[in-house]
Amino acid sequence: MLGINKKTNTGSVNVEKQETLLTLSILTLAAILSFATRLFSVLRFESVIHEFDPYFNYRTTKYLAEQGFYSFHNWFDDRAWYPLGRIIGGTIYPGLMVTSAVIYHTCWLLNITIDIRNVCVFLAPLFSSFTTIITYLLTKELRNAGAGLVAAAMVAIVPGYISRSVAGSYDNEGIAIFCMLLTYYTWIKAVKSGTIFWGTLAALAYFYMVSSWGGYVFLINLIPLHVLTLMITGRFSHRIYVAYSTLYCVGTILSMQISFVGFQPIQSSEHMLALGVFGLCQILAFVDYLRSKLSSQDFDTLFSALLYTFGTILAIGVGVLTLSGKISPWTGRFYSLLDPSYAKNHIPIIASVSEHQPTSWSSFYFDLQILVFLFPAGLYFCFTQLTDANIFLILYGVTSIYFAGVMVRLMLVLAPVMCILSGIAVSHLLTKFLKHSETKHTHEHKKSKKLESSVVLKNEITATYVGITCLLLISYTFHCTWVTSEAYSSPSIVLSARSHDGGRIIFDDFREAYYWLKMNTPEDAKVMSWWDYGYQITAMANRTILVDNNTWNNTHISRVGQAMASTEEKAYEIMKELDVNYVLVIFGGLTGYSSDDINKFLWMVRIGGSTEKGAHIKEWDYYSPSGEFRIDKEGSPTLLNCLMYKMCYYRFGQVYTEGGKPPGYDRVRSAEIGNKDFELDVLEEAYTTEHWLVRIYKVKDLPNRGV
Amino acid sequence: MKFQTLLTLLVAVNVNAFRNTLVLLDNQVIKETHSIFFKQLQERGYTLTFKVADDASLVLSKYGEYLYDNLIIFAPSVEEFGGTLGVDTITQFIDEGGNVLVAGSSETGDVLRELASECGFEVDEEGAFMIDHLNYDITDEGQHTKIVVPLDNLIDSTIIAGEKTMLTPLLYQGTGLLADPDNPLVLPLLTAQSTSYSYNPEQSIKEYPHAIGKSAVLIAGLQARNNARVVFSGSLSFFSDEFFTSPVQRAHGTEKHETSGNQRIAYAISQWVFKETGELRVKSIKHHKDGEQVPPTAYTIMENVVYTIEIDIFDYVEWVPYVADDIQLEFVRIDPFVRTTLKHKGNGKYEARFKIPDVYGVYQFKVDYNKIGYTHLYSSTQVSVRPLQHTQYERFIPSAYPYYVSAFSMMLGVFLFSFVFLHYKEDTPKTKGE
Repeated sequence: MLGINKKTNTGSVNVEKQETLLTLSILTLAAILSFATRLFSVLRFESVIHEFDPYFNYRTTKYLAEQGFYSFHNWFDDRAWYPLGRIIGGTIYPGLMVTSAVIYHTCWLLNITIDIRNVCVFLAPLFSSFTTIITYLLTKELRNAGAGLVAAAMVAIVPGYISRSVAGSYDNEGIAIFCMLLTYYTWIKAVKSGTIFWGTLAALAYFYMVSSWGGYVFLINLIPLHVLTLMITGRFSHRIYVAYSTLYCVGTILSMQISFVGFQPIQSSEHMLALGVFGLCQILAFVDYLRSKLSSQDFDTLFSALLYTFGTILAIGVGVLTLSGKISPWTGRFYSLLDPSYAKNHIPIIASVSEHQPTSWSSFYFDLQILVFLFPAGLYFCFTQLTDANIFLILYGVTSIYFAGVMVRLMLVLAPVMCILSGIAVSHLLTKFLKHSETKHTHEHKKSKKLESSVVLKNEITATYVGITCLLLISYTFHCTWVTSEAYSSPSIVLSARSHDGGRIIFDDFREAYYWLKMNTPEDAKVMSWWDYGYQITAMANRTILVDNNTWNNTHISRVGQAMASTEEKAYEIMKELDVNYVLVIFGGLTGYSSDDINKFLWMVRIGGSTEKGAHIKEWDYYSPSGEFRIDKEGSPTLLNCLMYKMCYYRFGQVYTEGGKPPGYDRVRSAEIGNKDFELDVLEEAYTTEHWLVRIYKVKDLPNRGV
Repeated sequence: MKFQTLLTLLVAVNVNAFRNTLVLLDNQVIKETHSIFFKQLQERGYTLTFKVADDASLVLSKYGEYLYDNLIIFAPSVEEFGGTLGVDTITQFIDEGGNVLVAGSSETGDVLRELASECGFEVDEEGAFMIDHLNYDITDEGQHTKIVVPLDNLIDSTIIAGEKTMLTPLLYQGTGLLADPDNPLVLPLLTAQSTSYSYNPEQSIKEYPHAIGKSAVLIAGLQARNNARVVFSGSLSFFSDEFFTSPVQRAHGTEKHETSGNQRIAYAISQWVFKETGELRVKSIKHHKDGEQVPPTAYTIMENVVYTIEIDIFDYVEWVPYVADDIQLEFVRIDPFVRTTLKHKGNGKYEARFKIPDVYGVYQFKVDYNKIGYTHLYSSTQVSVRPLQHTQYERFIPSAYPYYVSAFSMMLGVFLFSFVFLHYKEDTPKTKGE
């Protein structure tokens, strides 16, 4: 299955044909494999959308498929962020939705009556097949076909990429990785050929990338960095000038067509490298032109004069623009890339997201396995054979490994380059060793006299080496399959656990609760929950929500956090102010589901206390005197009487959860709850799901008689 | 003509349909001593069912339907109601829209105290009377408990107390009440004089009295959020024939009135508590863009909008248009963005025209009309206000013309240049391009 056995250097036409066939079949197999390995979740559960963000993408895709592009573009969603509303068209990257809608309509045109949900579910696996192919092409461009095949086979099953692209994980990243590699491929082509044609294609690929993921910023910094490095190393040429100028001009104009991006490419500091390098390109080309026309003395005078003039003008211009606020300050998300502790210290809303946490060392191995060790080797081979394209690969590898170390989710960007570099390493080594064994066979007769022992030893070493490599690759395959099956294939909307006898228990409480909301609450009911569940509620229950996973308004989220962290009376005021009808909490104490609202509660306190209105909420009040976050009798009274605690543990004090433990024993926190007998004054329990995972409360009206 | 009679008859029947009233008495004697009050009610079409308060057959509802619309409790000393009646059933009755008129006395029983506290009043201790050593009636028997209350102390609302034309003072003998200051729905219908206090006249004063001066309430009302009305009077004799007809003269005053104002005020209060007056309702709400008739699915920012509301008031027998000039409309998204007075366009129709602010979101048209004595009129209509669509922006803005010109001149220049570049042949064969 791995493309390592394709070197048969006989040189006839027939062999060439064989080679093509072999390449094609290996690629096809890799592509099919990459699709198939992502289907665990569908086979094990069902064809559902996973997690949180994909629900929003699914909902918008459905809207796009039904209403057409223009109403999608102008869509003002009054179901989200009540009462602020959200302009969907202007605040998303539409690439994903447009892609699925196009596929959907094409299928219908061909009389394949596929459901839009299935298009969404299977889009990510489909695109990972494309990624496999584009990886082959890119690596072939960078090195050779052999490395390409190895890289393609590796990328097909690399867990770092699978984590974001299993069937049902309908998120931007699913197609963005393909777009990114496509852009790199076209860019390398453009650099190599130096034609406007490839430059434009690169710009188009870049446009697709911009339209589908915010991570395009990485790309628009990497390519200028490549150009800059080429300039510094003295490799700047007309080819690069043409390629970059075309890409930058066309690409920037195209990217500004995405309304979410807008004027950022010429204003925000994240894009300034690209602009600066573009300017530098022009200057360098002009200087080269002048140098060819002028005498060296004249040129020197002119050069220094120009340098000073333009330098001053540039400095003043940038200063004025920054002071007047035209150049936007560095955004928080970008700072947290450069300084991992930035977000934690400054912006609780960014730090609260688990995928924004720094990566642990073990997860590198978990997500990449042997690639971690092959990566330096690949890098070394790139250095031994420096070309314009290889420099790009080196830059890509080095920068992405840094970013992946800063943020867990950027592992995704690292995975393909890991595969490419490892592919190069594996292919290079195998080629070298296999070549030796071949030469040995062909020149056996001549060399028979020379150093017999050494040849034998060589042969042995070759065999051993190839054997070890095969073993490694096989273990890689097993590891990837195991990781995919165990870690990355749970939809998180449906949970599963092992019972005592080893069977699977399915917890379908989330959908149960959302359908309850859909069927039993008024159409215009407003549901308050922590923002994690916002997208799911709008998509599945079709109810208005206050905050959702698009965390654009910190104060509004903070308001909800304040309500959750306050006492009932205070919370009631906030809920009345925001017209809340129902409150939804996730509670795992009965089943042992650990990512529930009590475990997220400290974030609510932090975010709630981070704004002016919530200044009275202090994190320290929620810790016990010894500084622990406890829900038992030792816990702080503020915690034991806040709304979130009461909603989670209402009636829980009478429930036996585990044998040999007192009633009201929380299985996540492993403690008996501290506040058992209480009644709710301003809320009434409306619904609790089978395993108590989701609890829904109704906000009572103001008392009729005023008391 | 015949048809009209039938119609009036129907209306009359209709009116009577919600004037079923249960009257609970301490004993049948009260029926006689308060006959004028009851007769007034009967003349206005009320069907009164008299029962003794501890009658074992008392029921308010049968099969989930209420048998009565109103409840009068003229049984101050009752300790426990008979039948299924209790504080719970009565508060439930109120919560489901029933009106209650209660009269206590200095001997108010526990069950009435409890009922009072459920409605936001507090009855003073047993045996306590309102005492006023300066403003008592000349017929007082020496304890200065039969006090004279001027009409100034009556709540300033014609809808509850009627027109204050004849300034005959009121006679009052009974206990004092305290209104819960945290309850925004309680109305002090009649407060005591500043010279009065509530205490047991038999005992010497050892503690500071609970209810003193203006803060002591004699008759308290509650307008519940569901528009049910409750009136609690600290004096049963306020409604008695004796007080209705007796002359009034302050002990230290010279002014003498032939009859007290009690009858008129009791009449007005009974009209208010049984919702003959002051009940408002929203008949219709319409909103649309200026120049259109039907509301759009969503408004766009900066549009002109017309909001119309029709308000009715129940005027003794039928719904008639309500006329006022102080009704306000708010356009709210958490905070009100627009607040304007609705203009009366005749026939109870009010209208407001305004421009939607330049902020998108989910708004509510809110009419929150809170006038003493009237129903708390609250109406909110939710609408979405969306930002401009991509086609609604101006396509060509004047300040961009230099850029248009530069773009087109550039395009022309490039075209001309490439034309020249491609077709210009230099005399000397000097290859230059690639």
